[in-house]
Amino acid sequence: MSTKIETRDLSVSFGDVQAIKSISMKILANRATAVIGPSGCGKSTFIKSLNRMNELTLNSQTTGEVLLDGENIYGNNYDVVTLRKKVGMIFQKPNPFPKSVYDNVAYGPRVHGIHKKEALDRIVQENLKKAALWDEVSDRLHPSAMGLSGGQQQRLCIARTLAVEPEVILMDEPCSALDPIATAKIEGLMRTLSTEYSVVVVTHNMQQAARVSDYTAFLYLGELIEYGSTKDIFENPKNELTEKYLIGKFG
Amino acid sequence: MSRLLDAGLERLTTILLRMGEIAEETIELSIDGFLKGLDVSDRVRSLSETLVSMSVDAEDKAFELIAKYQPVASDLRIIKSYIKIAHDLERYGRYAWDISFIHKRLAQSERCEDPLVLIERMSGKVIDMVHASIEALRSHDVELAKTLAKTENEVDELYFQYLDFSAEASISTRCLVTNVLAVRYLERIADHATYMGESIVYIATGEKVVLR
Repeated sequence: MSTKIETRDLSVSFGDVQAIKSISMKILANRATAVIGPSGCGKSTFIKSLNRMNELTLNSQTTGEVLLDGENIYGNNYDVVTLRKKVGMIFQKPNPFPKSVYDNVAYGPRVHGIHKKEALDRIVQENLKKAALWDEVSDRLHPSAMGLSGGQQQRLCIARTLAVEPEVILMDEPCSALDPIATAKIEGLMRTLSTEYSVVVVTHNMQQAARVSDYTAFLYLGELIEYGSTKDIFENPKNELTEKYLIGKFG
Repeated sequence: MSRLLDAGLERLTTILLRMGEIAEETIELSIDGFLKGLDVSDRVRSLSETLVSMSVDAEDKAFELIAKYQPVASDLRIIKSYIKIAHDLERYGRYAWDISFIHKRLAQSERCEDPLVLIERMSGKVIDMVHASIEALRSHDVELAKTLAKTENEVDELYFQYLDFSAEASISTRCLVTNVLAVRYLERIADHATYMGESIVYIATGEKVVLR
């Protein structure tokens, strides 16, 4: 099992507020890693630091290192465009472009210079299949994606992310706006994708973390409290804070 | 703030502790009848059947809690262990009934001679183990649970001594077979007391230990 991402003493502040404090952890390749913790624990900030999304927020300051395949993504010469291609992200609320289903998936490849129809057709079909959406949209590729259900829109966003051939997929509460059936489909997809990509999912739903991940990290007040195999964390957590959070006896 | 799961766990614990009380009564009655030559089989059988039915209730309750609350960490360890412990308590009753049954069926409930007084000593230790296992369940006392390993070794020792003795025993065949089966059942009760101890250690620490 090789390390895909390693954070070293990673801290992020917004103005005077330190959101995450000196987190050092290794995220394994081709595994699903869940990040759990109560609201405000820094889990979204943590995941956003893995593709430098925090930089888009005013007054943010990041210290420490995030190594992607051994290279510090915060290094002076690191190209953010390459980073965003390698590390895709799925958000809480499905955010398809107000374009057709086809154009949503083809958008990234076009930006990266692919314009031939046959190539785009193949990419669109392949990635809609990987996102388990093809069977539902193969006969409506050209109407607007805004007509899809919430769950379908989220899978379209996953297909759009996959179309630029990322290596890491970050998911920030990807199911919290979805019903249980759509959630089950996305969860199944997370498991499937984790065999080919490194998946990191932030969720406030502990059962979801237990279902979809191989490894789980528990964050509290910006600190990494416990990190281990999902089985160990959910059966026999070592830290009392983790235990209290998991069984709902927190605070 | 109490959680929704807590009321269910309390109900499950109540079932198990009640089973513990009934199991203690069943085993003491059965051993007393055996050692004194009294027919207590009907009462022991009835108590044993109650334990079977309560163990089904405990298992149903545990499954309901898993289905409704998806427990994790110490909650999950407790529920998993309580399912096992309900089975151990049910087996306490079943072996008590086996002792009373064979005593009645083969020895016509007469007092069988045990020249070495091994069975009486073994019975005392087994009853102590049953009490300790149920107290450890009540208090989740890891140290008490771990003491079961030592007593179980002593019970095993007495069991093998009786088997050695049986090869040369001069008591009636009916009594000899009754006694051999009785010590076997006592030895099994001691095993289940130890399994309960292992479950208590697991609940409290998450460690899967073997106390035998």
